[in-house]
Amino acid sequence: MNLQAAIRSLLGIALTLVAVSLGSLWACASYAARTHANSDPFASLPLFFNRAPVGIAELAQTAMRDVSRGGPDAERASRELARLGGAALPYVLPALDSLDPESRVRVALALTRVAERMEVGNRDDFSSGDQAVLFWTRFWQDRAIDFRAPAVRHSTARLAEREVALRREDLIHVDTFALPSLIEALGEVKTPSDAARIERLDSVLAHVTGRSVTLGAGANVDEAARSAEAWRDFWDLHGSEYTALDGPRRLVATFAETRYGKWLGDVLRGGFGRTRSGESARSLVARSLPATLLLLLGGLGGGFSLAVAWARFERRASTAGARYASAVLGTALAAIPCATFVRLLSGSEPSRASYLAAAAIVMLTTAAWVSRHLSRSTLVANGSSPLAGAFFVSAPLGATYPPFVLSAIVLVELGFHLPGLGGAAARALGSGDTNAWMAASLALALATLLLRELAELVRPRVTARVAEGES
Amino acid sequence: MNESLSAKRRASIALGAAALLVLSAALLASRSPALGMYARGLEFAILGGSFIMAVAFAVAIPCGIVAASGPRAFDSALRFLCNCVSSLPTVFIAAVLWAWSTRTLVYLSALGLLHGLELAWLLRCEAVRLEASDHDFGPRALGSTPLVALVRQRLPASIGPVLVSASFSIAWLTALDAALTQAGLRPPAAPPTWGPLLGAPNPNPLASILAAGSVALLTAALHTLFRPPARSAIDNS
Repeated sequence: MNLQAAIRSLLGIALTLVAVSLGSLWACASYAARTHANSDPFASLPLFFNRAPVGIAELAQTAMRDVSRGGPDAERASRELARLGGAALPYVLPALDSLDPESRVRVALALTRVAERMEVGNRDDFSSGDQAVLFWTRFWQDRAIDFRAPAVRHSTARLAEREVALRREDLIHVDTFALPSLIEALGEVKTPSDAARIERLDSVLAHVTGRSVTLGAGANVDEAARSAEAWRDFWDLHGSEYTALDGPRRLVATFAETRYGKWLGDVLRGGFGRTRSGESARSLVARSLPATLLLLLGGLGGGFSLAVAWARFERRASTAGARYASAVLGTALAAIPCATFVRLLSGSEPSRASYLAAAAIVMLTTAAWVSRHLSRSTLVANGSSPLAGAFFVSAPLGATYPPFVLSAIVLVELGFHLPGLGGAAARALGSGDTNAWMAASLALALATLLLRELAELVRPRVTARVAEGES
Repeated sequence: MNESLSAKRRASIALGAAALLVLSAALLASRSPALGMYARGLEFAILGGSFIMAVAFAVAIPCGIVAASGPRAFDSALRFLCNCVSSLPTVFIAAVLWAWSTRTLVYLSALGLLHGLELAWLLRCEAVRLEASDHDFGPRALGSTPLVALVRQRLPASIGPVLVSASFSIAWLTALDAALTQAGLRPPAAPPTWGPLLGAPNPNPLASILAAGSVALLTAALHTLFRPPARSAIDNS
């Protein structure tokens, strides 16, 4: 294979994987929607294209409008304003003057909880509506300069370096406005000093988001790494709600603020996200791949070889009875569902015997299915040996029998409780666990595509060798 | 001599199938729910399998022939589609299609389309192979063969492997159904089929054995029915 062909193959695999990932996400979402098994935290986002991504500006303005109108939605909107916190202030406070006096009072009072969390005001400052309006007007005159990304980034960097009470206060004073910088400062966690940094940042993050502190004093590296991951997950889910979508960011958000975009973001960060059980999807793949590869090799390689031997036997059998018996057995094995054999032989605990039984089922059903195709198609006409014919027809059959083998693998993994990708993907699809499903199904697809490419690489040489041998 | 043997075999299969149908009707009339399920499953397998086969042929023949005769982009598109579809277990695709389909007919049509893509690729490969090996058949490069010539001369000779594969339609449908049942991905409101009898943990043993035997018998019957045209197509190639 020359370099050009290799690049073409790799590009083909990459393109196929992209298409499979799009189809897989649609499949998972469709299945979850129909079976009401949706547990995806991004379920409210569109699948592939977000026509109107929503950022902090839109959320803040909507909440402010609902609060200013009063009525039944005001309490919910007030809670929303409190959740958005400091990040909403650059959009809410400058707009206070544009409201009528009554609405202005409502909005100013709704921000009481934010002021308390920011430790910039107390109940006395908000004892009346007019006082509240006065407080926020003065606050914005004095502190608007603090709500600048570079200033906040500087304070965060100082806090990340060492414990400085003043910097912590500075960050608490800007509240959720500091979230992007705080998340960015989490960084990698490998040493005890990294753990200490995470501990300092965790306390501020917990304060401004109202979530509980995830790290105790003197946390070790593993605990700190888990805490950092948890905050990144939080940011993945809620990041856009605290970020202004302006200019190119809005354009990017039309794709990034979709379920596919969120998943792809996880992939580009070097993982597949986290499964519903909290396990990293990448570790799920690493744990499940060996069993599936074993079965895949058994099914695609062993099953195919056995099919060739079977077809050869059927063709060379000296008696009609042997041929007839072989044909009956082959048809029965190919026609009776693999699920039936799995049901009959499966046990409750995975053991070495269950691996053997699973591999035997995959191999035998594949062999029976392929051998029926071999013995009834090209071989008959070519008059060639089953081996030559088998390699000749393997290219067209390559589109047909891998899905058959893969289905058999799913069933044996489920039936024999083997820790494989097929079983993991089936469970994830059934429970609506998008990250686990995407990771398992794509790993399965990649393994299949690579094995097929390998077979394509070997096939011409083996066919030529077989033809030479026959001549 | 061979032809009369073949006719006898076909007649015996047809008789066997008829007996099976009569038996099913009798079972349907009986009050045993499990055996009644077998009979309704038989109805689904025959009607569903035939429908899938019809849709698959309707998709496979034009797609396969156009892919074999050009334009090249169509051939690449078919290859790409087949690669995408065949890199995932069919059981997952079927689960999603069944959950997504509002009606059983839509589900069966989607399965037929899926099966049709696989058959189209088989047909395309066979047509290209024949074209490459026949030096008397005009221009041989992919994409330059006249479509009409390909349809008239190559289609009858290329159809053999497709017929062989199509004869597995009922077995394929039943295997998918049983797999969905075993994987716990079968919709609860799905019509009664052989899936629960062949894939569920504790089915009625008699109905289960009947269903397994019937799938094998129906597949053998389809093989026998398709064997003469497939054989003559392969011999002509």
